[in-house]
Amino acid sequence: MSVKPGTKLVSAVCETQVIVVRAPADDVELGCGGAPLIGADEAPSGELDPSLGDGSLIGKRYADEELGLELLCTRGGAGTLTCNGVVLEIKGAKPLPASD
Amino acid sequence: MSHALDGVKVLEVAAWTFVPAAGAVLADWGADVIKVEHPVMGDPQRGLIAMGIIPGGPGAVNYIIEQPNRGKRSIGLDISTEQGLALLYKLVEQSDVFLTSFLPATRQKLKIDVEHIRAIKPDIVYARGTGQGPLGPDAGKGGYDGASYWGRGGVAAALSPASLDYPIGGRAAFGDLAGGMAIAGGIAAGLFQRERTGVGPTIDVSLLGLAMWVLSPDVVASGLYGGDPMPKFDRSKSPNPLVGFYKTKDDRFVTFMLLQSDRYWPEFCEHIGHPELIADERFADAGGRFNNCVELIALLDQIFASRTYAEWCAALQTMTGVWAPVQRPSEMVDDPQVTANGYLSRVVQDGNEYDLVANPVQMNETADVLGPAPEHGQHTEEILLELGIDWDEIASGKESGAIL
Repeated sequence: MSVKPGTKLVSAVCETQVIVVRAPADDVELGCGGAPLIGADEAPSGELDPSLGDGSLIGKRYADEELGLELLCTRGGAGTLTCNGVVLEIKGAKPLPASD
Repeated sequence: MSHALDGVKVLEVAAWTFVPAAGAVLADWGADVIKVEHPVMGDPQRGLIAMGIIPGGPGAVNYIIEQPNRGKRSIGLDISTEQGLALLYKLVEQSDVFLTSFLPATRQKLKIDVEHIRAIKPDIVYARGTGQGPLGPDAGKGGYDGASYWGRGGVAAALSPASLDYPIGGRAAFGDLAGGMAIAGGIAAGLFQRERTGVGPTIDVSLLGLAMWVLSPDVVASGLYGGDPMPKFDRSKSPNPLVGFYKTKDDRFVTFMLLQSDRYWPEFCEHIGHPELIADERFADAGGRFNNCVELIALLDQIFASRTYAEWCAALQTMTGVWAPVQRPSEMVDDPQVTANGYLSRVVQDGNEYDLVANPVQMNETADVLGPAPEHGQHTEEILLELGIDWDEIASGKESGAIL
C-alpha cells in the first residue's frame, strides 16, 4: 500500500491502532499480528498469528530507519507490527550511557 | 483532576525529578503541560537503571518516570537546531509558564534564558529550579538533591547519629519531590500576580534553599546561639517520656507525641493496660515524669516489649492523644486514611494499571485523577499539528533530526 503521514490505521486482528508519522515514498505492506493493517473504517477480520503476538505498546514508535518509516502507536494491542513482513523495532530514547 | 489551572499552558524544558515534579503538580491541577525532550536522548531520567527492579516488556512501569511526569504531553525537539528552537519559540508564544532546570550557561547557549523567552512572551511566568540559587559564586554549578539538599543543605549531618561511620543517605529524589511542590506553589502565586498586575515574575527555588527551610529551627538556633545547639537526647533520659519511640515485642515501633503530657497521662496509662500508674506518685505529673524519666522509660520499654506491633495498634486505636504506628512504605498503600483520602490514584492505560501518589495539595475534598506519563516524544506530531505545522515541515524536521 501507499501510505502518507497522518494516516490512521488499525489492526485487523487485535486492538492495535497506529498513526503513520513518517512515510517512505515506495509502497510498503504494513501488518499487525500477521494480517495487513486496515483503515479505521474497515471491518476487522481474521485471527492473530501467535508467532506475531508480542504486542504493541501505546505511545511507542515503531520504525524502519532504512525505509524511512515510522508508526506511532495510539492504542496498544496483542499483535506485533510488521513492514514488508519484517518486525518493526521500537524507536526508544537513547539516554547518555551510565546515567546512574 | 483539580480545575484550578484549567487553560494554563506550561512549557517544561527540564530533566530528572526536581523541576519535572513541579510540572506534574501543575498538570494535576489542570494545566496543559508540554515536556520538551531531546529527540534522541530524551529526559536522562528515562535511562536510570539504579533501582534495578523495573521489568521489561508489556506491563513494565518505569515508576521513576511516571511519578514526576504523569499527566503531561511530550514533544521530541532538538532546540539546539534552528528549526527546533523556532518551534520551541512558537510554543512559548502560547504558554503561560516556562519551567526549566537547565544551567545558566546552557540557557544562554540555547537562547532560552529569561530575556530570550520574555522577548517572545513578555508576561510569562519564568520558573527555574537550581542547586544553589540564581546568585552567588556557585550559581552556575549543577546540583542534585543528594548533594545540594542532603549534603550542602545540612540534612545528612542533622539526621545522622555520630555512631555511624558515614552519614545516612536520602531516598530516591527525596529533596527533589518536595522541591517540585515548592516550585509549583511559587508558580501558582506568580500566575496570580500576573492576573492582577499583568506582570509575570521570575520564580526561583533551589535545593539549598529548600534544605534551609526544612532545617530552619536548627539553622536559626545556630545563628542565635552558635554551634549545632538542637539537643539530641539519649532516649533513655528523654525529659518527656511520652514523646518518642517504643519498641514492640516483634521489633517494630510505635511513637508518641503527647506534648501536653499531664492532659494525656491518665488515658495513656489506661490504653497501655496499666491504670495503676496514673496515681503513682513518681510519675503523676510532668515534673515527676521529668525527674524520674530513666525509671519510667525503662518501665515503658518493658511494657511495650510485652505485646506485638499489631496488638499495640489495636490497643491504642481509641486513644485521643497523638501517637502513630511506625509504618513501612509498603504498609502505607493499605492505610485506611490513604484510601479514604485518595492519596494513591490508579492510572489505567491499555489494560495496564498501577498506582501513583497524589500531590499533597487536595482541593474540595476530591482526589485528582492522574493520567500516565508520556512516552519519549509521544505527542510530538499532535502538538506540532496543533501549532499549525504541516506534515511536510514535520517530515523535514524528522529528516534533519530537529524533530523526533
